[in-house]
Amino acid sequence: MLYLLTISFPIAMAAGLFLLRARQIPAITGAILTVLMQMLLVIQLPVDAPVRLLGLTLAIDPLGRLIMLTILGIALFAYTVNFFIAHGEHFIPISLLLLGFTHTTIILMQEPFVATLLLVSSGFLAILAIVDLPIGSSVLVERSPLITALHYLVLVLLSGFAMYMAYVLLTIYWPTEQSSQSSPAQLIMSLIIVGFGMRLAIFPFHSWLVELAEYTTPMVTVIVITALNSTSLLFLISTFQFFPIIVAENTRGMHVLMFLGAITMIVAALFGLATAHLRRTPSYLVVANSGFMVFGVASATSNGLAGSILDLFNHMIAVLVIYVSIALLERPDGRPVVTLRSDLLWRWPLAGSGFIGGCLLLLGAPPFSSFTSKLLVYNAAAESGAHFVVLLGIGSLLMLAAVARLLYERLLGAAEELPTEQMPILLATQEMSRQSDRKLIGEPVGLSIVIFLLLGVSAVIGLYPQLILVTIEDVIRGLTFVRVTS
Amino acid sequence: MGEFLDIYWPLIGISVSAAVILMAQQRRTTLISLLFNYLFVAAFLSQQQFIKPDLDLFGIMVSTTVLVKIIAGLSAVTILAITALTFSRDYEASALDEFSLAELRRAARQARRLEIVSPRRFADVVVPMWAMVLVAIASFILPRLYPIGSEEVDFAWYWLTLTGFFTIVTASDVLKLGLGLLLCVSSIDLLYTAIASTVQVFPLALLGLTTIVLSLAVSYLSGLMFGRLKTLELNELYKR
Repeated sequence: MLYLLTISFPIAMAAGLFLLRARQIPAITGAILTVLMQMLLVIQLPVDAPVRLLGLTLAIDPLGRLIMLTILGIALFAYTVNFFIAHGEHFIPISLLLLGFTHTTIILMQEPFVATLLLVSSGFLAILAIVDLPIGSSVLVERSPLITALHYLVLVLLSGFAMYMAYVLLTIYWPTEQSSQSSPAQLIMSLIIVGFGMRLAIFPFHSWLVELAEYTTPMVTVIVITALNSTSLLFLISTFQFFPIIVAENTRGMHVLMFLGAITMIVAALFGLATAHLRRTPSYLVVANSGFMVFGVASATSNGLAGSILDLFNHMIAVLVIYVSIALLERPDGRPVVTLRSDLLWRWPLAGSGFIGGCLLLLGAPPFSSFTSKLLVYNAAAESGAHFVVLLGIGSLLMLAAVARLLYERLLGAAEELPTEQMPILLATQEMSRQSDRKLIGEPVGLSIVIFLLLGVSAVIGLYPQLILVTIEDVIRGLTFVRVTS
Repeated sequence: MGEFLDIYWPLIGISVSAAVILMAQQRRTTLISLLFNYLFVAAFLSQQQFIKPDLDLFGIMVSTTVLVKIIAGLSAVTILAITALTFSRDYEASALDEFSLAELRRAARQARRLEIVSPRRFADVVVPMWAMVLVAIASFILPRLYPIGSEEVDFAWYWLTLTGFFTIVTASDVLKLGLGLLLCVSSIDLLYTAIASTVQVFPLALLGLTTIVLSLAVSYLSGLMFGRLKTLELNELYKR
């Protein structure tokens, strides 16, 4: 009953809040209350107590519950942010539906076919959020969001198809495996790499995430990356758990996946370094970090898994902090829209500091919790071979360089507000040609507190990693595929 | 020959309708073909007896599962057909600023010009035709290399998948791209029903839901695009 309620409650509330979508404050308040209620429901869910319903197994493990709660926490902050930042008309109902779908996926993870279909359906829903326009918008939908939505639509279906085929082959071949039959392990591994690679934005399937971050509202990016991509990574771990034979029979395939993770990190960081764009560079950093997490999972060692899972939580917090900061940094400040601003930190000190904090969190700088997770994955890389440490090291250095360039070019430039000598009014100067007075509005302090609260939580976990690492290590002890390779 | 047709008519129907979707350019033709494709897939599943018939419908014994698939397919086609007929999420002129209104007028002019200067050409069919040849070759070879179910099932799902993929690749408008995606979902549906040891209600319901949500997403995007550019041509969308 509790499972059913957890699945249906956000979906029912999404339907209710769809009717209120034009009234911003009641809709956001309703969404916040829904998330709080959903948190209570998730806490009440019995851990490791499977239930059968309609021939399906509904279950949740401590890790699944922790991820559900983290996603809900992120959603809670995202909705709070919506009080201050413009968002799409249908963002609230669509994001609640997405929460319902991701929770259902986590609960039904023991049913790979169903989980795959749920991931595909949630991807289709996300498309509606991508092309959503703000309430009462007086502009047309741009070409770029339409292109992004189309790309995402095709990608979601193709990734679902690849995952589905992998599960079909797993179900058909291995239970009735005959000695004469050639092992389809490599084909299955390829399908898994393609399917999950598309969902997790692994090179060369990463371009959708960059487009998404560039052309949609920041909160849509946050929900897609935190809810859908995190669920996909958890699903990848579950796949290895339920079909440990994939790992056991596929040492080369797992190495390919590790290489792909490391290469993703390097390539994405290079792309990020090549441009100093306020939205594009962080999205490349997010892709690079996804590669890092995939590397940890593919290493199939306890250190790699613990590092990746811990990094997943850091990833979610960092994405929220970075994109909320971007939304604040992009607010109009009286200068012409085409002006390339280079003094953002001085103009918006709180948002700028939050942005820098988010980037450092993503990079794994101490004292943030990502420092621990990165160390664990590096440890796993060292266990697998020195060349992996070198590759990850190059990737991390390039990420650092990309962040440094972005900060130098967009945030740390000379402040325009510094007192300058007043220009005398020249002969023939007209009133029209004089620049209008700059409207210097303040930063929303409440929102900045939220950003620093999140960074504080990460710092506390960084100083006392055992707070969360104990649960993660407990879960990893139960993972059979880790034992296979260690 | 008569006996062959008696046995394999659903399979032939699936192949022909999917091929028409890949090759035809007119929306009416492709949508009708999609409808027939769903009907032939249902007939194929009934004929192969993957699921026991449990419902007497006007003297014809059919399975509830097959009926659900027909309803889901019919819903998808209806959604797309309504979209194709009405299109356009028309913007309220009073809600738009002058730049957006000018942009809309320019898009309408461009779309009209496009209709006049680029009539349908034989060259538009060449690439889909060669794609069709590739699909045919691959659908005969792949079931022998990677057999999953019976020969008929393998041929049917490989055919649907490949025509779907090639439709996506060669599509020149959004609606056709959506049809390619729907063909891929249809092939997953067929394969699941054919190979699952026990067909469960929830996955089947979810497959139906996926089909409907996909067609809704395609319709929504088509409507938005038509409202913005007054055309569904992908070339126009990518023009900067």
